[in-house]
Amino acid sequence: MTADQPISVTCTVNGETQTLEVGAGETLLQTLRRRLWLTGTKEGCLEGECGACTVLIDGAPVASCIQSAAAVDGRDIRTIEGLSDGERLSPLQQAFLDHAAVQCGFCIPGMLMTLTALLEQQASPSREEVETALAGNTCRCTGYQQMVDAAMTAAGRERA
Amino acid sequence: MKVVGSSVQRSDGEAKVRGDAVFGADLAVPGMLHARLLRAPVAAGIIRHIDTAAAKASAGVRDVVTGADVLNERAGVAVFDNPLFATDYIAYEGEPIAAVVADTAEQAEAAIRKVELTIDAETPVATPGQALMSDARMVHPSWAEFGTVGGIDFNRDGNIVSQILLDPGDVDGAFKRADRVIEGVYQTPRQYQAYLEPKMALATFEAGRYTIQVSHQYPFRLRDRLAQVLDVPKSAVRIVGHHIGGGFGAKLDLALEPYAAVLARRARRPVMMLNNPEEERLTAPCRENATVKVRSAVLNDGTILAQDVDVVFDSGAYANNHPATASIPIFMFGSIYRVGTARIRNRMVYTNTAPTGAFRGVSGPYLVFAAERHMDQIANELGRDRREYRLAMLAEDGHKMLNGQALEELSILHKAFDLVEERAPWAEQGKGKLRGVGIAAAVWLTNPQPGQATVKLNEDGTLTVVTAATDSGSGAVTTGLRQIAAECLGISADAVTITMPDTDVAGFDAGSQGSRTTHVAGRAVYDATTGVREKVIEKAAAMLETAKEDLVIEDGVVHVAGVPEMSLGLADVAMAATFSQGPIAASGSYTTPPPPHDPSRTKGMLFSTWPTPTYHVHLAEVTVDAVTGKVTVERYIIAQEVGRTINPDAVKGQVLGGLAQGLGYTLWERVDIDAGRYVQRNFESHGLPLACDMPEVEFVLMENPEAAGPYGAKGAAEPSIVPVAAVIANAVSDAIGAPIDDIPITPEAVLDALERS
Ligand code: FES
Ligand code: FES
Repeated sequence: MTADQPISVTCTVNGETQTLEVGAGETLLQTLRRRLWLTGTKEGCLEGECGACTVLIDGAPVASCIQSAAAVDGRDIRTIEGLSDGERLSPLQQAFLDHAAVQCGFCIPGMLMTLTALLEQQASPSREEVETALAGNTCRCTGYQQMVDAAMTAAGRERA
Repeated sequence: MKVVGSSVQRSDGEAKVRGDAVFGADLAVPGMLHARLLRAPVAAGIIRHIDTAAAKASAGVRDVVTGADVLNERAGVAVFDNPLFATDYIAYEGEPIAAVVADTAEQAEAAIRKVELTIDAETPVATPGQALMSDARMVHPSWAEFGTVGGIDFNRDGNIVSQILLDPGDVDGAFKRADRVIEGVYQTPRQYQAYLEPKMALATFEAGRYTIQVSHQYPFRLRDRLAQVLDVPKSAVRIVGHHIGGGFGAKLDLALEPYAAVLARRARRPVMMLNNPEEERLTAPCRENATVKVRSAVLNDGTILAQDVDVVFDSGAYANNHPATASIPIFMFGSIYRVGTARIRNRMVYTNTAPTGAFRGVSGPYLVFAAERHMDQIANELGRDRREYRLAMLAEDGHKMLNGQALEELSILHKAFDLVEERAPWAEQGKGKLRGVGIAAAVWLTNPQPGQATVKLNEDGTLTVVTAATDSGSGAVTTGLRQIAAECLGISADAVTITMPDTDVAGFDAGSQGSRTTHVAGRAVYDATTGVREKVIEKAAAMLETAKEDLVIEDGVVHVAGVPEMSLGLADVAMAATFSQGPIAASGSYTTPPPPHDPSRTKGMLFSTWPTPTYHVHLAEVTVDAVTGKVTVERYIIAQEVGRTINPDAVKGQVLGGLAQGLGYTLWERVDIDAGRYVQRNFESHGLPLACDMPEVEFVLMENPEAAGPYGAKGAAEPSIVPVAAVIANAVSDAIGAPIDDIPITPEAVLDALERS
């Protein structure tokens, strides 16, 4: 039996302060999906490899399936639900639609979070840098090219 | 054309980029319980005892069931060999043995571990070679008693699940007349679909009917298969489809649904099931591992008098849909190249491994791999240029495939070779040390199976398309069908809403498989919308007091041609119609008729023709690192014929996605089997392609509208995976000067071959 003494965690999620009672072994992914009903963050491999569960913690992409929820006290968390400015999609979200970079969509939240972090750190990456940034995100549907095109458009580096 | 041919955005795109789209795995309903399966821990064994007492007493547990508690008849799509639960023996690692339902998934998981199993493990029949040995243990001792669909016998024989033999009778004579006999053996591994969303099912039982909410590629098959295993009428099962996180063929048949259904009925509560990632990897119906032997009787001038093809593939522990697709080799040899005559034998074999199944392109990728590696081999042995030899052997319009069906448009393939040549002149490719070029061609089909659609004109002038067609990512439903309806009525695609699948609401549809949605469901939508259009015109003519022939519909407005002021909005027509004669709606149904062929050649084959063919030529240039053995794809060109492009960006996405899966299959992905058990047991070890692995791709789209298709569309999504292994292996073999006839082409395999050469 796990000693399920809940741990109190205070963090911001998509700009709102949340105080949550989480289990000792609980992952951030579980907290987001089950306690906050933020189901946009996806459950894929649960091994930190596929990237479907990527969220931003203090601006850096993290696989939430292997991130302890208890350890996010005081941190700033952003999920796919927080990416748009209300009704307005972020330029990256819009570029994904414009480039038909979305197929089944299951990898998309993680892809968008990883690329959002990249573009925040590096306004104008090269294609190679975008591809390297995606080393922790698997998409089985698209073959990636339209996603990289979308990232380049969002970065203002339209393909020549 | 206004809407067809433009890159309209998918109707679920915004929900998917916002994280709002609800996939099957995201579902939750009030009061739902959670269930887990106990799966076999060994590949083969005799079950001596199953003790569920401790599991039943475990915290939160509502029910535990085994094969003793439920109807556990053997069932299947083709051969009735697969029970819900293993009861007396285990046929593969991962086979369900018991199911536990509890208040939480964690409680169900904990209880599963308390089921006590007593098993006498047996040595698994691990490979087709072992299964075919004369003294092999029978994977299913009672195989002879299994029923089959329609009573077809499939030439079953012990561990042989099904076999086909096409033997025109003059093959051996041709081999006697040959100047030389050229022979090759081509081996390919399993390939895991690796969709990111695990399989799931959410079942409820109410008023004598089961409702299953699920992310599934083929809801109507699921309905029919559930009816079969639950022994209830088809109408007692309702399937409601949700967004599908990838399928690629893996979500076409039963998985968790029957267990969720049985448990929901017993518990009188909704039951949710979700595979964990390891279960998914152990039980996904991978593309089958196969060995293809090809012998050709060749004259010194290059003429192929005959081919003798022997395919053996691994069905795994159950037959799945394989007996239905067993005939595909008869369409992959002797179809695009002139080979005189050919004998084709295909045996699918039971082993103690997870059942294999459908993965994009089914057996096509390995059959084309064998056929096109073999063409290189013949050309090389004859000292002919590999491209020139192909062109010399390429058949002309009207050439008959081995089933007697004529391919009327083979000239498209000649054109595809030309278009590739324009972009990448053969003589200039692959020059230099450890650099090579490969080329391969294929004819692929568009799945002909039926679809129905109902189109309703809403009272605001928009359309709703009611269909059970599913979109597992391709956009065929969320863009293609909407565009076809919009074009046909004369409105924008934004004004077309399309339903999610629900078998209670929509007519039969054969699901997302074999690129059929745009062609078949699209034709049904086209016909239905044409019916709506006629009713709109009729009503508007009465309202405008003009002749029907004078009216056109453009941008949502009906007007007299050339007189834009004499007009009515579609909303006005719809309202007027609804409250006079009744709402405007119409239906359409379609299935591709089988092309003419010679039935005497396809006796006993469920799949006897190659409907709505499309044509493909791929070329790749590769380099090989002599030190590491790493293969780099420097350039990749695809010339693909699609009939008519409905949505250029969506087609491109399908072509690129299929190529990525093909490159993974050829170069990086692994599904190794050791003594019946999968070796790769975590996500990373599968070696799926990443963004940085993808080459620059040049895509040449060829249009050639097909009369029966909506606006001329044929299938487009499936085939780009089909020639990839052949092309890459041909290029690598060229680069290193030694034949590569097995995939995956790992760095070690390359270094080995380099050493041999
Ligand atoms: S689900 Fe977290 S990385 Fe795959
Ligand atoms: S869009 Fe399906 S996995 Fe990326």
